[in-house]
Amino acid sequence: MTHHQEGALTGYRILDLTDSKGAYCTRLLGDLGADVIKIESPQGDPGRSIPPFLNDNPDPEKSFFFIYRNASKRGITLNIETEEGRNLLKKLIKKADVLVENYGPDYMDSLGLGYESLKKINPNIVMASFTEFGTDGPYKNYKGSNIVDFAMSGVMITSGYPGKAPTLLPGMPAYDAASMIADVEIIAALYTRPAIGSGQKIDVSVHEVARTGLYPWSVPIYSHSLTPGGPLPWPESRLGDSIYPVYPTKDGYIRVIALTPQQWQALVRTLGSPEVLLLPDWENFIYRIGNSQDLFAIMLDFTTQFTQMEIWEKGFQEGIPIAPIYDIPTFINSPDASARKFFIKVKHPVIGEGLYPGPPYKWTETQPQIRFCAPLLGQHNEEIYCKELGLSKDDLVILRSAGVI
Amino acid sequence: MARTALQGIIALDFGTGVAVPDGIRLLAELGAKVIKIESSKNLDFVRTIAAEKNSSAGFNETNRNKLSIGLDLQTAKGKDLLKKLIKIADVFAENQRGGVAKNLGFDYESVRKIKPDIIYLSSQGFGGGGPHSDYPAYGPMLSAGSGMLSIWKHPDDPYPVGSNSPLPDHMASKQCAIAIMAALDYKRRTGKGQYIDMAQTEVAASLIGESFLDYTINKRIPQPKGNRCSYAAPHGAYPCTGMDNWVAISVFTDEEWHSFTKVTGHPEWAEDPRFSDLLSRIKNVDELDKQVVEWTFPRDAWEVMEILQKAGVPAGVVQRAPDTMKDPQILHDKALVELEHPIVGKRLYPNVALKLSATPAVPSKPAPLLGQHTDEICRELLHMSDNDIKNLKKEGVLESPDIPQK
Repeated sequence: MTHHQEGALTGYRILDLTDSKGAYCTRLLGDLGADVIKIESPQGDPGRSIPPFLNDNPDPEKSFFFIYRNASKRGITLNIETEEGRNLLKKLIKKADVLVENYGPDYMDSLGLGYESLKKINPNIVMASFTEFGTDGPYKNYKGSNIVDFAMSGVMITSGYPGKAPTLLPGMPAYDAASMIADVEIIAALYTRPAIGSGQKIDVSVHEVARTGLYPWSVPIYSHSLTPGGPLPWPESRLGDSIYPVYPTKDGYIRVIALTPQQWQALVRTLGSPEVLLLPDWENFIYRIGNSQDLFAIMLDFTTQFTQMEIWEKGFQEGIPIAPIYDIPTFINSPDASARKFFIKVKHPVIGEGLYPGPPYKWTETQPQIRFCAPLLGQHNEEIYCKELGLSKDDLVILRSAGVI
Repeated sequence: MARTALQGIIALDFGTGVAVPDGIRLLAELGAKVIKIESSKNLDFVRTIAAEKNSSAGFNETNRNKLSIGLDLQTAKGKDLLKKLIKIADVFAENQRGGVAKNLGFDYESVRKIKPDIIYLSSQGFGGGGPHSDYPAYGPMLSAGSGMLSIWKHPDDPYPVGSNSPLPDHMASKQCAIAIMAALDYKRRTGKGQYIDMAQTEVAASLIGESFLDYTINKRIPQPKGNRCSYAAPHGAYPCTGMDNWVAISVFTDEEWHSFTKVTGHPEWAEDPRFSDLLSRIKNVDELDKQVVEWTFPRDAWEVMEILQKAGVPAGVVQRAPDTMKDPQILHDKALVELEHPIVGKRLYPNVALKLSATPAVPSKPAPLLGQHTDEICRELLHMSDNDIKNLKKEGVLESPDIPQK
């Protein structure tokens, strides 16, 4: 039981057939040490055309979106819509532990690459498939997108200002939630594989995971309110501003969490106990929500006496949870991100050096890391096809010309 | 019954709120025996935001499929019992306020003396090792403290306000589960446990990596885009009939645009020089959005979704809970489940979303009452006599519900 391995998932090979929708799933497995081989069509992953780009130059090797979500992976090109391409994929499957894809329902089956076929090639393979709306059912052929999946998650209706349009969360929240759930399942399947003696099939519906996983509380809260005499439902509207108010300081905004009377009293003390805030009405959370505009007007006289850091730290001493609203550069340079060395320098042959957010945790034995930068299109074709599958460089030329790789 | 993935694994949940408890729930759904360590003196804070400690909808959602032991860790005897549980556990996870676990004598260094191969996950809002490690943190503070909130707004909003949902808590919880799963597999292969220190702000920042690269490489401070997309139009949430009802629509390709113009009864838009191609639609997006609103506003959001989806255009209702409860795909997937809880009765919850073919997830079971499984755990796992259990209850070390159990 004593062999050294660098990452928690070192030794596993993942074939990554995802595009931007599932890229984060395999990226995290790569950070954890797995050998992730990203398989792109010869034209490249459409994720390569998602902005922002280096110097706004829309080159397939210059998408920050792509390089961030595909770091810690090697990359090859392969057209699985050709017979030869499928044969090469099958050879790779023989030596792989996991295959992840997000083509949508029935596509892999239509190519003869469904789970039933894959397990004949390699009974140990774990196959994870993402669909937008499930493999079956009334929405099976519906189209998803970042904003559509987020809209249906139940979070969007609560995001932004009342009276204005519900607001999209930055990033790819629904796809990332589905990616992380897929990771949990993939690792569980690898963990249990020796005990059951085979791989298995994993299905992830982005709609289902986003709805049940991003804001799971709204359903039971509403369900609780349906009984006569039950608690009032948490209003499903956009109340972020009044429930968790935001106030300006000298150098930026802060967010305040005063849910209990004790927390409110601590906030008042933090601000020097001004008389106008001592009115008993303000101690009532519901009153504060109802009068949040008036309260804002009063508060800013006091909160603007402090810097973000001063009021955050003084609030902590008094017992009121406050957080600074950092903009992007301020978070990078924040004392906590700096102390934890969260940002990591990564060099990319076309883009050059950048500071990337690193893995969000520190491990004592197997520190996850951005092991290398995202692959250029087909960067590892020779490494994989020649060294591992025994093709010659001449073979690669032929396959390239034929549109197979 | 089929074998579960985490059969035989014991995980101790010394968590509060979401980041750890929701992550550990996933382990329970994969078949681990999860024991929530709690007491009336140290309640999971979500238990405190309801009328009664066993009636919180949030708690009862997050802590399903777990056992609860009521254990007072302020007492020496309570600490001893937790040490005995640690001896037989594989995982210990906590996200108490920074310093709490250490002050009780249950930081990693202490715990691994009891169980050298323990997997110990600790998660504070701003992470360990920084100046604000001991600061309390709730979900809405983490989007703030990570840069995420600064770009979560419409360009014309005065300042960002985020959401009344606790995101990114429910993303941090998934990272927590990933980390523990990977550490479990490492332990299976090497015999070694380890310590994992997760920062919830960093989970949030990880979700917007491209924005950080835009700053660190292009030296540009990313600006909020609201619902706009630089390569799709229309793209946004559009109002529909009724109070505060909306539908999200996104049109990426020419094909989608042509379907959109036909099905909305405006084929002339496809010829209109302001809207005929993507570049002109992006340039005239305000005018375009006005036209789209004119079409959506008198219509029902569900109807708009159906019309557009049937025409191959991505669209979805901006859902509230009651919408989800009638969403035909959610019903088809059995994505919600009714559970009967001894205090709150029958309620709907999200169902288990894990779909593994060979090691199926465990069906959802109601969250425990505080101390509901104290007797069972003491008897079966700690091999204590009924008399000892009774005496420790009298002393206040152990606690179980004083209401009749089913």
